[in-house]
Amino acid sequence: MTENPVPRAQTATELPQDAPAKYLRQRQGVELFAEISFKIRQSLQLKEILRTIVTEVQQVLQADRVLIYQVLPDGTGTPISEAVLPAYPAILGMEFPEEVFPLEYQQLYAQGRVRAVSDLSDPTAEVADCLVEFVKQFGVKAKLIVPILHSISVHPPRKSPPKNAIWGLLIAHQCDRPRKWADFELELMQQLADQISIALAQGELWGQLEEVVAERTAELQAVNLSLQQEIIERQQIEIALRQSEEQLRLITNALPVLIAYVDDRECYQFNNQAYTDWLGKSLGTIHGSPMRQVWGEDCYRRMQPHINNALAGNVVTYENEIQLHDGTTRSISVSYIPHIDNEERIGGFFALTSDITDRKAIERMKDEFISVVSHELRTPLTSLHSALKILATGRLGVLPKDGQQFLAMADENTERLVRLVNSVLDLQRIESGAVTMEKQACTATELMVQAVDAMQAMAQQHEITLVNQPMDIQLWVDADYIVQALTNLISNAIKFSSPGGKVWLTVEHQEQPPILLQKSQKSTKAKALKVAASPSPPICVLFKLRDEGQGIPDLKLETIFERFQQVDSSDSRKKGGTGLGLTICRKIIEQHGGKIWVDSTVGVGSIFSFTLPVIENY
Amino acid sequence: MNKRLLTIDDEESIQIVIKFGINMVAGWEVLSASGGRMGIDTAQRELPDAILLDVMMPEMDGIATFKELQANPMTAGIPVIFLTAKAQTAERKQFNDLGVSGVITKPFNSLDLPDRISKILNW
Repeated sequence: MTENPVPRAQTATELPQDAPAKYLRQRQGVELFAEISFKIRQSLQLKEILRTIVTEVQQVLQADRVLIYQVLPDGTGTPISEAVLPAYPAILGMEFPEEVFPLEYQQLYAQGRVRAVSDLSDPTAEVADCLVEFVKQFGVKAKLIVPILHSISVHPPRKSPPKNAIWGLLIAHQCDRPRKWADFELELMQQLADQISIALAQGELWGQLEEVVAERTAELQAVNLSLQQEIIERQQIEIALRQSEEQLRLITNALPVLIAYVDDRECYQFNNQAYTDWLGKSLGTIHGSPMRQVWGEDCYRRMQPHINNALAGNVVTYENEIQLHDGTTRSISVSYIPHIDNEERIGGFFALTSDITDRKAIERMKDEFISVVSHELRTPLTSLHSALKILATGRLGVLPKDGQQFLAMADENTERLVRLVNSVLDLQRIESGAVTMEKQACTATELMVQAVDAMQAMAQQHEITLVNQPMDIQLWVDADYIVQALTNLISNAIKFSSPGGKVWLTVEHQEQPPILLQKSQKSTKAKALKVAASPSPPICVLFKLRDEGQGIPDLKLETIFERFQQVDSSDSRKKGGTGLGLTICRKIIEQHGGKIWVDSTVGVGSIFSFTLPVIENY
Repeated sequence: MNKRLLTIDDEESIQIVIKFGINMVAGWEVLSASGGRMGIDTAQRELPDAILLDVMMPEMDGIATFKELQANPMTAGIPVIFLTAKAQTAERKQFNDLGVSGVITKPFNSLDLPDRISKILNW
């Protein structure tokens, strides 16, 4: 090869004036090669490149037809690009049988064979006769053929190597005359064929890339689709959540009570509209704010022990006084319900607050009414009671037997009425909190002796033996009220025992206050925590009053301490009770922080027990 | 020992049962007044051995009456027992602080009064 394959810029001025046409075409060839190489590197559109090549080559070589023939895997082939002078038939797209380009030829070309035939009719040209006949029909007189090989260097690793090393042929035809092909023409054709190889490889690579891109695009689209689906689902969930929250808000906002969720840092995480209505603060201001800030220092101080209690896992209910934004004071009832999550942690608590100002006012009116009525009843009762007693002496004249019976009945019922009025007033006073237990140091013995002494006369009357087993345990109680509770219990025991029976009053230390199921509001777990956390269990005193009376049926055990709940409704008439005695006892014991309960077996007897806490400081 | 008592109570029926009961059981003389003012006048005039004074009365209540009796040297030495419908410990304490000799809670049986009064006043 004498020509430099690397294109070199040459200008027309460098050429001699008399340069023959051959040099001009040679220079055009070099320029063409440079241009095509550039295009191939710039473009990936194979069809366009091939079309440019055939057109340009046809012009530079001044050949009658230039074509690119693609050899298909089955040995057949087809011209896929062609530049042909109008005078000659176009063969673009024609399908050529395998015989036209048999395998042995392909192999020769694959080894780099270049075929330049000056005159097809020349027998020395060594062209197969059948081929000569075949090309004649297209008017071919001379031809130049260079192979286009599959490029190896540019190829990325293939999935499978090509069956055939030859991709196709770059062919120039001369149809008007035989033609002797110049060396540079041969070289140009070869170099262009190499460039086509590169373009092919690039095209294939491009195709592969496009495939990969298409694959990736499809994958991305699938992912995108599923993402969109997820987004839609999430949006739907969000809408559902929003609707559910709106519904919750609608419900909570419609209620005239404060509803909130407070986290374990004592900050509000949910509030209903009532907070704004009551406190005059926007929900936005309240949300996330600590309770101390929302309620103010003074009110918070009253709330704090209950908040601590709720955050320790206990259900809390208490009453408080608050001031609304309009300056009015309201009585409120507050409930805190601890929020215990699946991992047993206390995340906060739900707070429910209702306005009980009206209820309180009604309660006060009721208390006042009861108080006034019972006071007002006392004066006429005094007259009635005394008058009947005076009549009963017989000093004003002796009544006939029937008259005496009626007088006794009137006297008995007056006394019952007196007891009832006393009990109603007692109960009202204790319940309304009008009385405060005036606690003082005393011993269990003192209280027991006082109560038993007071009931001795009644016991004798009913032929009951009172067995007192006191102990000198120090107590801090309102002695009058505890004696009242004891006498109430002793009186009951006497009334419901048969003549000749015994009633025992005992007292003892108790390590742990009893936990009564019906009274327990705490969850078992919270309780367990609490007990475990306290280093020494509080000690209390346990009083027991045992009788051998008729006993109380199981069904009545719980209600016996409710007002007017006697075992037998005729009891109050028969036994002269008021139906308020045990209720008063319970109130008195509860006011002292103790508990009262009963164990009983019908036909065997009952044991009424109550506890009183011992405060060691006193 | 024959005693002379003064009952100050706006309820006539109370005056009657007290008078009748005490008289019947102990034979003591019982004077009656239906209000604080009248009671003070009677006390100054008659100088009874003890006064049974109702706490809740219209116009001049038992406490005001008691304070006036105490303020007058003539009547200051006469022991006074309050008759009251209120039996609360706190109220009883308040009465004791005033310097009354004792408190008897309504309703009571007038036949028991001589015994209770004797106990309170150590007669």
